[in-house]
Amino acid sequence: MIFFEFAKRNLARHKFRSVLAVIGIVIGVLAITALGILGNSVRLSASEQLHLIGNELVVFPYGGETISEDQFTQIEKITDAIPVTSTVDKVIFDEDSTLVAVYGMRSEDISKVVEKADGQYLKHGSSNCLVGSRVADDFELRVGERATVKTQKPRIVGILTERGIGFDINPDSAIILSDKLFSSLYNASGYNLVIVKVDDIEEVEETRKEIEDRLNKKEQVVVVMELKMIVEGIKDLFDMISLFLLGIGSISLVVAGVSILNVMMMSTVERTKEIGVMRAIGTSKKGILRMFLFESLILGAIGGVIGALLGFGVGYLVDVLILKEASYLFAPSSLVYLFLGIAFGIGTSVISGLYPAWRASKLKPIEALRYE
Amino acid sequence: MMIVVELVEVTKVYELPRGSIKALDNVSASVEAGDFVSIMGPSGSGKTTLLNIIGCLDTPTSGRVAIGGENVSGLGDEDLTKIRRDKIGFVFQQFNLIPTLTALENIAYPMRLKGLSGHEERSMELMRSVGLDEKLGENKPTELSGGKQQRVAVARALSNDPDTILADEPTGNLDSKTSKDIMELLKETNERGTTVIMVTHDPLVASYTKRTFQLVDGRIESTA
Repeated sequence: MIFFEFAKRNLARHKFRSVLAVIGIVIGVLAITALGILGNSVRLSASEQLHLIGNELVVFPYGGETISEDQFTQIEKITDAIPVTSTVDKVIFDEDSTLVAVYGMRSEDISKVVEKADGQYLKHGSSNCLVGSRVADDFELRVGERATVKTQKPRIVGILTERGIGFDINPDSAIILSDKLFSSLYNASGYNLVIVKVDDIEEVEETRKEIEDRLNKKEQVVVVMELKMIVEGIKDLFDMISLFLLGIGSISLVVAGVSILNVMMMSTVERTKEIGVMRAIGTSKKGILRMFLFESLILGAIGGVIGALLGFGVGYLVDVLILKEASYLFAPSSLVYLFLGIAFGIGTSVISGLYPAWRASKLKPIEALRYE
Repeated sequence: MMIVVELVEVTKVYELPRGSIKALDNVSASVEAGDFVSIMGPSGSGKTTLLNIIGCLDTPTSGRVAIGGENVSGLGDEDLTKIRRDKIGFVFQQFNLIPTLTALENIAYPMRLKGLSGHEERSMELMRSVGLDEKLGENKPTELSGGKQQRVAVARALSNDPDTILADEPTGNLDSKTSKDIMELLKETNERGTTVIMVTHDPLVASYTKRTFQLVDGRIESTA
């Protein structure tokens, strides 16, 4: 391909200028690729959580302070439910006292909601306790040690795995007691929230309606939160944020496109006489058009590939540092951004090169030859 | 003898803001294959316009032009480009080699445009035939002297084996010794059968040719 060869040599003729044009594309593609991968990773991570908790409903009292035993029974008639009582209290570990969330749960429910990292779960009516991962870390707690809650000194029989921020309970900075111990300590009546796990994710919506219909028949006494909706809301938010970031990335690509347009325009003007000679000795308009388009294609391809690889690297860093998970990077939906970045780089560059190339091909040989 | 260039009542008028200028006025002429013609005349007499019209770089306002027996009046850009590529070789005053190509690549370029195979060997052959050392083949035009660049330009003009070579003041940028060499080269080329039409204002240069068209005010005043 003689015109491809021409394009390469013409770019090499003005190395510095070509490198600057490529840098513009690199930055634009880097932005698009990195932001695309980041947005996608966040979306994937949200989807993963949705998968874990998407079948969960949380029932909160509306107006009143707690969900009564009677209301709970009505929920249980519809589906299996996990009642949770909670408060915040001062707990003493060894000699350090701290404010933590204290949850009271039926022993059979605990393993459905949290996971133990060490030790065991609570037995029925146990007077022991479980501690969350952060509490355990902060106070260097081990299984077998004791905590002081009000008048009681429950033994720590299990330490939980980290769960992250939840919409139902936040066990990481909490201790969990059996329902019996909790009510003896706090004299609680009713429940602060009820967690409902629906077997089939398709029936979540229906179950939510059923609970609302039954309990809120006369007046609203409970609010039912569908975690799926919350996670989807977050997903939508992240989608919007990543779209916004992609928009910013695109702007930098547009700027890069303008710089390529500029470089190519300069090039056509400088090479007017050369184009005249080429046309005079038998080069077709198409040939000239192709030569200039190849030049912008080469700039775009080099910038695109470098930008996409750097963007991938930045995406990796961000995934590892913020999401602490690199596997999202290699998901096909993330890798798409690698190729999308390259395609955008080449596309922008070629589109920017269209006008100068067209102008060069339109030059009349006789006028171009006269140009000094 | 076959007629390679035929002009019938060719007129060229340039429309300018201050009025129109008649660069060529009802010019009729023909050049036979194997001829060596110089076009002379004072500046502004229409020499270069005539050469450009013969070279299919410009079109007449009226009249008919035939190249190699083919009427080119009214042909589109694509067809004219092909005629320039296949039937005509150009030699310019300022050599006009393509700066990114080596000497050999410059010579091979018209052949590559045409898609001919074996252009490497033929370019080498042409280099030798215009009296250039093969070693210079890899040099870029800027690394060659003016005379050598013009030799490369002549080789390039010959590469597609054209019927006619059009030369616009081919010695205009050269010293007298090199001018003589280039004229000898063009003469040799003509002796091998290629028609040469050349614009010049130098009578010494014109003396190499077989015929001279004397142009005055856009008309051929005399043919000697």
